[in-house]
Amino acid sequence: MTAIDPVTVSVVQHRLQAIVEEMGEAMLRTAYSQILNSSRDFSTALTDPEGRLVAQAEHVPIHVGALPWAVKSVHDYFRGRIHPGDVFLLNDPYRGGNHLPDLTAFVPVFDGDRLAFWAINRSHQSDIGGATHGAYNPAATEIWQEGIRIPPLRLYDRGRLIDDVAELLVLNVRHPRDFRGDLAAMIGSARVGERRLQALLAEFGSPTAHAAIEAVLDGAERQVRAVIAAWPDGVYHGEAIIDDDGHRFRDIHIRATVTKTGSDLVVDLSDSHEEVDGFINSAYANTRSAVVVALAYLIDPETPKNDGAFRPLTVITREGTIVHPRPGKPVTLSTNCCGQEIIEAVIKALAPACPDRAMAGWGRRFRIAIQGRDPRRDRPFIWHLFQARPGGGASPVGDGWPGAGEWQAAGGIKFGSIEVAEVRFPLFFLRHEFRPDSGGDGRFRGGPGGDLAFAVEVAEPAVANTAGDGIRHGACGLFGGHDGAPHHYVLRSASGGKRELKTKEAGIVIAPGDMIIAQSGGGGGWGDPAERSLEERQRDETLGFVTGEAR
Amino acid sequence: MRYRIGIDVGGTFTDLVAVDEAGRVVHAKAASTPHDQSLGVMEGLGLLAAALDLGLPHLLAGTERIVHGTTVATNALLERKGARTALLTTEGHRDILEMREGLKDDRYNLRMPPPEPLVPRDLRLGVAERIRHDGRIETPLDPASLARAIEVLRAREVEAVAVCYLHAYRDPSHERATAEAIRAALPGSYVSLSSDVLPQIKEYERTCTTVVNAYVGPALRRYLERLAVRLAEAGSPVPLLIIQSHGGVATVADAVRLAAGAVLSGPAGGVAGAAHVARLTGVGDLIPFDMGGTSTDISLVTAGEAAISSDRKLAGQRVGLQSLDIASIGAGGGSIARVDAGGVLHVGPESAGAMPGPACYGRGGERATVTDANLVLGYLDAANFLGGRARLDTAAAEAAVDRIAIALGVDRMAAAAGIHRVVNTRMAEGVRLVSVRRGIDPRRFALLSFGGAAGLHITDIARQLELTRVIVPRLASVLSAWGMLATDLRYELSRTHLGDASVLSADALRQAFAGMEGEGRARLAATRFAGEVRTQRSAEMRYGEQIFEVMVPLDTLAWERDDLVAQMADAFHARHEALYTYALRDQEAVLVNARIAVIGALSPLAAEHRAASTTGSAAATRRVHLGGWIDVAVHDLDGLSPGQVIAGPAIIESSTTTVLLRPGDNATVTPLGWLDIAVQGRSGG
Repeated sequence: MTAIDPVTVSVVQHRLQAIVEEMGEAMLRTAYSQILNSSRDFSTALTDPEGRLVAQAEHVPIHVGALPWAVKSVHDYFRGRIHPGDVFLLNDPYRGGNHLPDLTAFVPVFDGDRLAFWAINRSHQSDIGGATHGAYNPAATEIWQEGIRIPPLRLYDRGRLIDDVAELLVLNVRHPRDFRGDLAAMIGSARVGERRLQALLAEFGSPTAHAAIEAVLDGAERQVRAVIAAWPDGVYHGEAIIDDDGHRFRDIHIRATVTKTGSDLVVDLSDSHEEVDGFINSAYANTRSAVVVALAYLIDPETPKNDGAFRPLTVITREGTIVHPRPGKPVTLSTNCCGQEIIEAVIKALAPACPDRAMAGWGRRFRIAIQGRDPRRDRPFIWHLFQARPGGGASPVGDGWPGAGEWQAAGGIKFGSIEVAEVRFPLFFLRHEFRPDSGGDGRFRGGPGGDLAFAVEVAEPAVANTAGDGIRHGACGLFGGHDGAPHHYVLRSASGGKRELKTKEAGIVIAPGDMIIAQSGGGGGWGDPAERSLEERQRDETLGFVTGEAR
Repeated sequence: MRYRIGIDVGGTFTDLVAVDEAGRVVHAKAASTPHDQSLGVMEGLGLLAAALDLGLPHLLAGTERIVHGTTVATNALLERKGARTALLTTEGHRDILEMREGLKDDRYNLRMPPPEPLVPRDLRLGVAERIRHDGRIETPLDPASLARAIEVLRAREVEAVAVCYLHAYRDPSHERATAEAIRAALPGSYVSLSSDVLPQIKEYERTCTTVVNAYVGPALRRYLERLAVRLAEAGSPVPLLIIQSHGGVATVADAVRLAAGAVLSGPAGGVAGAAHVARLTGVGDLIPFDMGGTSTDISLVTAGEAAISSDRKLAGQRVGLQSLDIASIGAGGGSIARVDAGGVLHVGPESAGAMPGPACYGRGGERATVTDANLVLGYLDAANFLGGRARLDTAAAEAAVDRIAIALGVDRMAAAAGIHRVVNTRMAEGVRLVSVRRGIDPRRFALLSFGGAAGLHITDIARQLELTRVIVPRLASVLSAWGMLATDLRYELSRTHLGDASVLSADALRQAFAGMEGEGRARLAATRFAGEVRTQRSAEMRYGEQIFEVMVPLDTLAWERDDLVAQMADAFHARHEALYTYALRDQEAVLVNARIAVIGALSPLAAEHRAASTTGSAAATRRVHLGGWIDVAVHDLDGLSPGQVIAGPAIIESSTTTVLLRPGDNATVTPLGWLDIAVQGRSGG
């Protein structure tokens, strides 16, 4: 290997990071759908030809641990038939996708005539076909009810769009205009990565660039091993509980047994609940991704999250469980649930090994997707709820972040502008503030969740689906800290009636003028509440995060 | 003789320059007066007049322009010492500021505590009112609700109030009525409206920017109005111009109204100066490195241009106004050294500032600073500091450094060398922040060394980063003040929501731009500007369903042709393709904002070429510590002639700064009398 100086290695490391971030910026700025351009539910990454992760943008952590397998699927399928100008797609969770709405575009990057990298964009589509709008189908009991499944698929051949293939995809989704705009943005984003990678190869020369990348990966591995090595060896157990699967199962457990030896971690999830009927099963790629996220939260934040960083990790699952279902099981909610519960189980397991690093539970996702007709523009619309973020978990250094979201994104998904939402959708937001008394008590308090009220201003009834968890089990407290409050969502009809929304309901009819009140859960508390100072408690009351009546 | 005067107030010194029509530069330096910066400015102006053998009224009467960079707004933000600020929002939406749209910096750092918002939750008050997305009024502004909020403002004795209502960019009437009520009830309070500060959709950016504006506004207003009065009393006939974060200048009234636009006013002068240096020297790729007493400002000039953006955080806050890209490191000549419990040496961010200053200033400072270490190392001349205007107390510096030496368990010289080395390492990290961390290899750039303290550190920093070229301007210590004089008057105007480009007529487009241009020219005229006016026209455009816009330059269009709108759409498609690799030519192109910059081009700043020295550089020698004690030649910068080459180790002194050449450094004197230093060899001690 070419000997390489440390300055070049750091320049290359930061350049790779700058490239994936620029790919992300391009995506954000060009996408059509609200879920992408307002809530940035997408990720960008670079891998080598074999799928080793070289760099990823810090958007949606849960996406990225699954990518290596997806690259392998594409690379193996098209081996020997990959050319400059090609673009490939994939979404199948059983071949490295997370779930069907997460469509991935792969652009091969060539160094001369040799395939050198993949520039990748994984983006959550506003709709991906299937039985219900917006991809989340709580009624689904098999994957074919969740949308169109895309195996490794060639969309461009040497720069030429294969238009019949494109038409097949467009025909199978509900909003073809948005889908086309978003797909163009995804491919553009990956090509921005291709363009900048080629500039990097030209600037440093191929051997130097590749040697620097190896050094970057090895450096990340060293950093992570140094952290893990400082923890006591042992076998650790952690468990998280899911409310239900929306069908026949309740109190569904995820169990992690983590064996730490030297600087290696083996995470065994085999003892988790058997696979379930509803869409909370997590295919293996998504499960591995969730474990990678848990480790990423415990190591030093500045360590680059690449292939090297996760070499110390082995993930063991058993086919037939909720964390490794047999092909065909529905999985759409898995990026949230049971992804977030896998993260929670692993962090709870490792908490005694690294109490100065482990944080209490972040809120769980409870989403709503509404489909209807916008009377202002006389056009159909699909809107996804991202407001009312739940609270962040408290940590050894302080209170949890207010309204920063869920375990699997941890402040990476934004809810976007309410003004923009009102311009683009027939919605009117009456209230969006923090929800008092929702953060779990503790030496450090969990972050408060959100309190949202909005009216749906349609002329004819719209339909909503919910997808989420956590109206019985709140985000977990740690080391004596209390759990965060669970979610509480209500549909209030214009006529005055109201009913509580469940987390996995399909076909909820929203009449014109109906209002949804979404109160999301708070983060878990950290440490014994008796150790919280009087001044901190008074401050909580002054700021209105805790009201007098809660005590 | 007509002069231009530039005034740069730093944390420690206030630097002033006067430039005459021939480009001759006279400078002065006064201690900054943090409690009222205008005192230091007036003292400096007096020194400047004295240096020209003029009385101050005489100098001011002959001055055509005064440009000022101030750190008042920056310091208020960085030190969290801004006004006690309240925020009025639409009822039910008081947490926009603290929700941050759900985003958290540093995705994978879950152990990082949430930041304190500039306005605490109990000073964020909802007011019953609501405007809809299309401008219709859903709930009229409720006077009773507003009165209740104002009672809280009164009871809590707030100094500043930010008002940001939903959709106020469509209809500012509720915000304006609110401002009237607040001003009537609380005369003297500083009121900042989102519809004035950033009249754009997206409530989070608008709220943050408005809050920053209110938070720094009162301090900036107090200071600038006081200074303007002092200047007028001293006989200045010209309006004071304030350098803005985007590098242009504005009048005092405009700067006070848009206080958030002055957050980078201090360092912006240096960047403007650096861009001017790039033009003068033909070296386009520069890293401006401005080391002062309290902090070091570092930025990047690529191909002669400094990066500008409206998408950045300034001093930890989201400010949606155009600004230069500048990193500020809390390390400078006055940075205080300390040893922590683990025996590790730290330098900064705490600074001795102007008072008491470093121990060697003899003003009661006892803690060792970088300047004390440099004196102990022999790099500074105790008898001849600032061209002999100040004497340094070597014994006090030694005593201060000895305290560090004892805590570290090393001798005095090792402690002094350690302080010097640690601060260099921190500043090298600052250079990495603006270059390496953005994926840019700094090694092809030249370091532009300025600020009074930089010269002693710069070649070691260059070595640490493997940079091979350092440029030291003649007026290194006052480059910021000088650079301000090279900037143009600049007014940015925009008009929102013109709508779908395809339904726009060429005439309507021409009229919109003509209207804005007229407004900009009127503002220029208000500054008594009478020179040549340039404009830069651009459009922010996007495809129908996108929510972010692309900036499309429009100056090259054929404005007189009937197909103007089609030309604009073509320019947008081409720009989109250049940025994002594709265009969607069958889609509607939406014009969101029409923008114009109306620029009053100021006569270019001349630079005086140096004649060959008549005095020669009668080199003295001095004993300095570079790993061990050695005798090195000491040159007077004024005694050097263009073309002369000085090999390190050596010291080159001027009345405002000292440059240390280390072994392997070769400084060539340029035709302007500057130093162009070739740095060779690896980083040493």
